[in-house]
Amino acid sequence: MSILHWAFRMVLVFTAFVLPMSAQTVADSPNSSQNPGSAQAPASTPASDLLIRNGTILTVTHGVIQNGSVLIHNGKIAQVGSNVGVPAGATVIDATGKFVMPGVIDCHSHLALDGDVNEATSPITPSMNMLDAFVNTDKGLYQALAGGVTSLLLLHGSANMIGGQAVVIKNKFGLSREQMLFPNAPRSIKFASGENPKRVYGSRNQVPSTRMGNFEVQREALQQAKEYMRDWDDYNAKAQKGDKEARAPKRDLKLEALGDILRGKLLVQIHCYRADEFLTEMAMAREFGYHIRAFHHALEAYKVADKIAAEGVAIATWPDWWGFKDEAWDAQPWNAVMSSRHGVRVALKSDSNDVVRRLNQDAGKVIRYGGATQEEALKMITLNPAWIIGVDDRVGSLDVGKDGDVTIWDKDPLSSYAKVEKSIIDGEVYFDSSLPGLGLTHWKGAPMSSGDFEGYELDEEMGIGEAH
Amino acid sequence: MKRLLISCFVLLFGLFAVAQSVKQKNKPAPPQPEPAGPIAIRGGKLLTITHGVIENGVVVMDNGKITAVGPAGTAIPRGATVIDASGMTVYPGLIDSETNLGLVEVEADQMSNDLSEPSDEIMPHMHVAEAFHSETQRIPVVRVNGVTNAIVAPGTQDTLPGQDIFIQLDGKDRDQMILVPDIALPLNFSAQQRRRGMGGPGGGGGGGPRFPSTRMGLAAQLRQAFIDAQDYEARMQSGAKPSDNGKSGRGAASSQKRDLKLEALLPYLHGQKPVVIGADDGYDVENAMRLAREFNLKVVLNHLTHSQEILDEVASWKVPVIVGPIYDFPRADERYDAVYSLPAELYKRGVKIAFASYHVEHNRNLPYAAGYAVAFGLPYEEALKAITINPAEIWGVADKLGSLDMGKTANVVIATGDPLDVKTDVKQVFIAGRKIPMENRQTRLRDEYGGVPPAR
Repeated sequence: MSILHWAFRMVLVFTAFVLPMSAQTVADSPNSSQNPGSAQAPASTPASDLLIRNGTILTVTHGVIQNGSVLIHNGKIAQVGSNVGVPAGATVIDATGKFVMPGVIDCHSHLALDGDVNEATSPITPSMNMLDAFVNTDKGLYQALAGGVTSLLLLHGSANMIGGQAVVIKNKFGLSREQMLFPNAPRSIKFASGENPKRVYGSRNQVPSTRMGNFEVQREALQQAKEYMRDWDDYNAKAQKGDKEARAPKRDLKLEALGDILRGKLLVQIHCYRADEFLTEMAMAREFGYHIRAFHHALEAYKVADKIAAEGVAIATWPDWWGFKDEAWDAQPWNAVMSSRHGVRVALKSDSNDVVRRLNQDAGKVIRYGGATQEEALKMITLNPAWIIGVDDRVGSLDVGKDGDVTIWDKDPLSSYAKVEKSIIDGEVYFDSSLPGLGLTHWKGAPMSSGDFEGYELDEEMGIGEAH
Repeated sequence: MKRLLISCFVLLFGLFAVAQSVKQKNKPAPPQPEPAGPIAIRGGKLLTITHGVIENGVVVMDNGKITAVGPAGTAIPRGATVIDASGMTVYPGLIDSETNLGLVEVEADQMSNDLSEPSDEIMPHMHVAEAFHSETQRIPVVRVNGVTNAIVAPGTQDTLPGQDIFIQLDGKDRDQMILVPDIALPLNFSAQQRRRGMGGPGGGGGGGPRFPSTRMGLAAQLRQAFIDAQDYEARMQSGAKPSDNGKSGRGAASSQKRDLKLEALLPYLHGQKPVVIGADDGYDVENAMRLAREFNLKVVLNHLTHSQEILDEVASWKVPVIVGPIYDFPRADERYDAVYSLPAELYKRGVKIAFASYHVEHNRNLPYAAGYAVAFGLPYEEALKAITINPAEIWGVADKLGSLDMGKTANVVIATGDPLDVKTDVKQVFIAGRKIPMENRQTRLRDEYGGVPPAR
């Protein structure tokens, strides 16, 4: 394996900072929903009925249906069961001997951001919006699609204690940027903790250089936001009473975004490894009155799983990554199932352009490590990450009324041997392994390289830059 | 009398030297004999690798060796400890053809990282054997997944980073765990060995670019090193008579000085040990191979990630290939499975393949790479061979390792099912006949925090 390849993977794991090509300020109005609800069905008119029949249907929520069918009508799941008729004019996919499950969901990815993962110029950058870095032609998305991944949460990195706001996409590789946005998905914001912020800023002899500094920087920012909100509330109250003397405070996008955290308008996704830091983060959330949606990585969750469960916080973790840094040294692969059995909602995520292509195998591993049931394992890559993103009412299981995001596999997806045959989103096929070329149905152009093999290009650029 | 004494001394010394070299060559070192006597595993499905699958079979181990393998009814010695493996699958210990085990503990911690000497590209006199940390917490984590032997290689930042070792993942100390020191020499040839002033480890520090900053430079430097070594050997053999050719200054005395760097290359220039060419792109593979042929090196190829277009040529070279990581990325214009299908494509062309897990973090997942290759066309039996008998043959230890055969080292794994599947749990590992405690730092943490509660 190439060192650069590895280095890039480490960049993802550590989410060390990558210098931004250009720093953009995002004009995000205070109450806007991040993803405009414009993502309509693709330009070509989809067949109104798609029937997948005679497959082993892994519903995730209501068991396994042998020789079952899934009917998708106008992009939504209309019927799931063993007695589904063929509507007139329906497109039929025969899934005899195949496995049918909901699309895989990755709730922690840095794909398709062209390296603009960290605005590592200040530990508090909540107004950064990953949408502004989203590159819909990244080849990594195609590879993820070929691994059955139909929705992703693209997150800011972990250089900053409070990073940027995430973008939620449906993996309709080949369509436009706008068409790939998950319609009306809730907004998420990335927090971090531990080694990365203290390393990034500590190496510049700045605050934070310690975990003490980490949390103090976070607390001060939230305190400022509280005061900013109070100033606006005062102003609005006066203005409402017709007070002509009242002067509007200066708008500050950073404080506005922090205010949205305190108002509960942003799902808080926290990069956090150590048990003590889960407790500190949860204490700070109580102190300021916001909720934490999920701890990401969460390799020591098993140590305080009861407490995490009691706060209703989920975790997004890897089954067997460990030891790449000090705060990953107490990892053990039973973490996912131990935490789950203590009542924590557990997702398996990639944080990797490699692993995103085979999250199904990671789900298989928790059967081995801890004896997860088939349903528990499947939930960890479908419904639970959907909950973390806040879209579990729309995707993550084969239930009537949900989006028609379905994958078809040649073998048990929870094994080493399964290949995706079709990835279907909103009732339309986006990847089909039986097609020649890339197996894509919508792609027309040339995809750009994705993060991991950009290493070579970066190397090239740096070398030439130096030489000149 | 004096002469006799000298003869005796020479003879004794010779014997000692022979004994030493035999010891070096013939390790595996004998394991601590298990006091319990013979152990018999019966009732399991045996994947022998060399002679098929035996349902409900029997494996007997004694004194660190496999003493019997056969169907139900195979004689079990009196007094043997019998292990019931009904419903289980039994197979030989897996062999990983490249790891960094014992060279790095916490990857981000430079103090526990002994992967590379970045000051020069030509470092064949670095011996992994002298950095291998046999007490690493990582080995007990890896071996409970059924991996019993591995190559430990240095990092890949240098073209010639140092010499590999072949280890057994159990033993009371380093000497018992290193079965073969200096077993092979990696020769890395790709863009990443160039020094382009990128800074950091392997980049040769800050500042501007320095030689070799291109592939031309890498090749020229390698060629010069091999020629220097040949020249050095010739000079050493011709004694104190260097051809002066009008040069003056340093005379015979200095030419007789040993040069450990050049000396380290000699066994490889003699074709006694393999050079492991690590290259990804077809043109890099071809260039490195051209160099290897120029010096008649014995070659094992490694990676070949983007060499799809030259696989027929690769097959014509009749050299084994360590293929992977299977998880490396295809190029932007390639289909998603271009790398996944590489093991199958090589096998189809008659190339002997082996798998490796490379980075320490993934070493325990070696069998899953083989399983994924099966998903993309590699026959199942070949995938199994590629982590057992094939690497045993490639590394010259097939007389002792790589299959369930009488007389081989008793490296035996009992698991709940298919070794290549992610769902399979390994229940017991034997290394050189020793029943390995199925615990490590991670199981201890699991248990300390209450273990896995039952399903609700």
